[in-house]
Amino acid sequence: MQPEIADLMARIDALEAAKDMATTINAEVFYWWCTALMLAIHAGFLAYEMGASRAKNALASGMKNLIAFAFLIPSFYFVGWWIYLAFPDGFSIAEGSEVGLPWSEYMGPNMADNASGIFYAAFTLFAATTASIMSGSVIERIRISGFTILAIFLGAVVWVLGAAWGWHPDGWLTAKWGLHDVGAAGCVHTIAGFFTLGVLINLGPRLGRFSADGSVNNIDGHNMPMSLIGLMLIVMGFFGFLGGCIIYTGDAWTTIYGTPATLSAFAFNTLMGVAGGMIGCYLVTRDPFWMMSGALVGVISSASGLDIYYPGLAFLISFIGGCIIPKLNGILVRTFKIDDAVGAVSVHGFGGVWGLVACGIFAAGYPNVAGPEISFFGQIASTIVFVLLGFVPGYVLSLVLKGFGLLRVSEAAELAGLDRAEVPVSAYPESINPAFTNDTASPNPAV
Amino acid sequence: MNTAPITTWEGAEAYFTFADKPALLVAIVIAGVAVCVWTICSMAAHENKSAKGL
Repeated sequence: MQPEIADLMARIDALEAAKDMATTINAEVFYWWCTALMLAIHAGFLAYEMGASRAKNALASGMKNLIAFAFLIPSFYFVGWWIYLAFPDGFSIAEGSEVGLPWSEYMGPNMADNASGIFYAAFTLFAATTASIMSGSVIERIRISGFTILAIFLGAVVWVLGAAWGWHPDGWLTAKWGLHDVGAAGCVHTIAGFFTLGVLINLGPRLGRFSADGSVNNIDGHNMPMSLIGLMLIVMGFFGFLGGCIIYTGDAWTTIYGTPATLSAFAFNTLMGVAGGMIGCYLVTRDPFWMMSGALVGVISSASGLDIYYPGLAFLISFIGGCIIPKLNGILVRTFKIDDAVGAVSVHGFGGVWGLVACGIFAAGYPNVAGPEISFFGQIASTIVFVLLGFVPGYVLSLVLKGFGLLRVSEAAELAGLDRAEVPVSAYPESINPAFTNDTASPNPAV
Repeated sequence: MNTAPITTWEGAEAYFTFADKPALLVAIVIAGVAVCVWTICSMAAHENKSAKGL
C-alpha cells in the first residue's frame, strides 16, 4: 500500500507543479500580447500626429514621436521601474525596491523570475503613451532635442511617480484616501495632460495661430483621413493598455489594488465608454477629428471605474465627457490662447480629471483592500495631486529648456517647415509641396 | 571572453551575461545612459546647424 501512496503523492506534486507552471506561462503570455497590442497606440499616435501636421512638418512630427518612443525604452529601464517600486509611500524609498535597479539580478533573464520582464515591458509602453500624449500638442514648433528631454522626464520619472502613488497596491493615495483608478486616468492621462499644459505655456502658439486682435485661426493638418485611422488604432491599442491594467493571479483577475475583477467588466465598460465619448463629441462638434478623439475621451472618462460601473452608466459618463471636453478645449484656445494642436490637454488632462471625479460621484462606498472605501473626497484630493504632479514639472522643465534655447525652433525653421530644417528626406517627394516651392535645395547638413 | 555567470543550467537563476559582475553591470548602465545623453546632444547640434542654413 505504501508504494502506491507514495506514487500517488508524487503524481499530485507533479500535477501541482504543472499547474503552477501553466499559471506562470499564462501570465507571461497575457502581458506579452497586451504589450504587443499597446504598440498600436504608438502606430496610432504616429499617424494621427503626422496627419494633423501641415505637409511641411509631417515627417518631423512623426520622427519626434518615434524618437521619444525609442528613448523611453532604455530610460524606463534605467530609472522608471525602480521609481515605481521605490516610492509608493511618497518620497521615501521602499524596502526591497532595489530589485528594480537596472543592475539587479531581476532586471534580465532569470529562471527564478517570470514577472519582472513582462511588467517592465507593459509599464514601458504606458510610459511611452504619456510621451505620445504630449507629442501631438506641441507639433510644428518644438525642437526635437527639447521634446526628447521632456518626454524622457515625463515618461521615465513623472508619470511613474504618480503610478507609484496612486496605481500601486500600496500607493499612499489609495492607502490614505481610498483612490480608485483602475484604468490609470490619473497617473497616465491627467499627469500627461497637465504636464503638456505646462509645456505649452512656455512653448507658445504656432506662428499664425492667433491674429494680432486675438482672434483664432485654424491651422488644418494635411491629412485628416490619416489622423482618423490613427485615432482608431489608438482605440484598438487601448484594449492592450487596459488589459495591462488588470492583474492575472492564476486563480482569478484582480485590479492593481487587489480587488476582484473580471476581464468581462473591462470589456463591457471599455466599449460602452468608447461609444459614449464618440457620440458626445459628435453631438457637440460634428467634426470627425473630434468624434474620434471622443473615443479616447470616452475610455478615459470611464477608466477609473471600469471594473465596477454598470455599462449603461459608463456610457453616460463617457457621453458627458464627450460633450464637455471639446468645449473645454475651445475655452483653452479662445480664452487662454493655448495652442494645443490636437486637443490633448483637454482629451487626456481634463478627460482624466472627469474620469477620476466621476468615480467619486458614481462609485463612492465601494470597499478597497488597503485603505478606506472609495469616496468623493478621496477622488478629488487625488485628482489635485495628479494635476500638480503633472503641471509643475512640465512647466518648470520647459522653462529651463526655454532658457537654454532648447525648446522652440527658430522662426525661419517654422516658416520653412521642420521637415526642410531637420529631416534629410521628403514626405511627398513626387508631389508639389508648398514648403519647397522655388527652392529644392535642402539646407539640412545630413543630406 | 567568458561572460557566462553559470557553469550548469541546474539550479540556474540570473543567467544573463555578466550577472555575477555587478560593477560591470553598473558600468554598462552608465555607458547606456551616456549613449542617450550623447545622442540628444548630437540632436541639438544638428538642429542648430540646420537652422543656420535656412
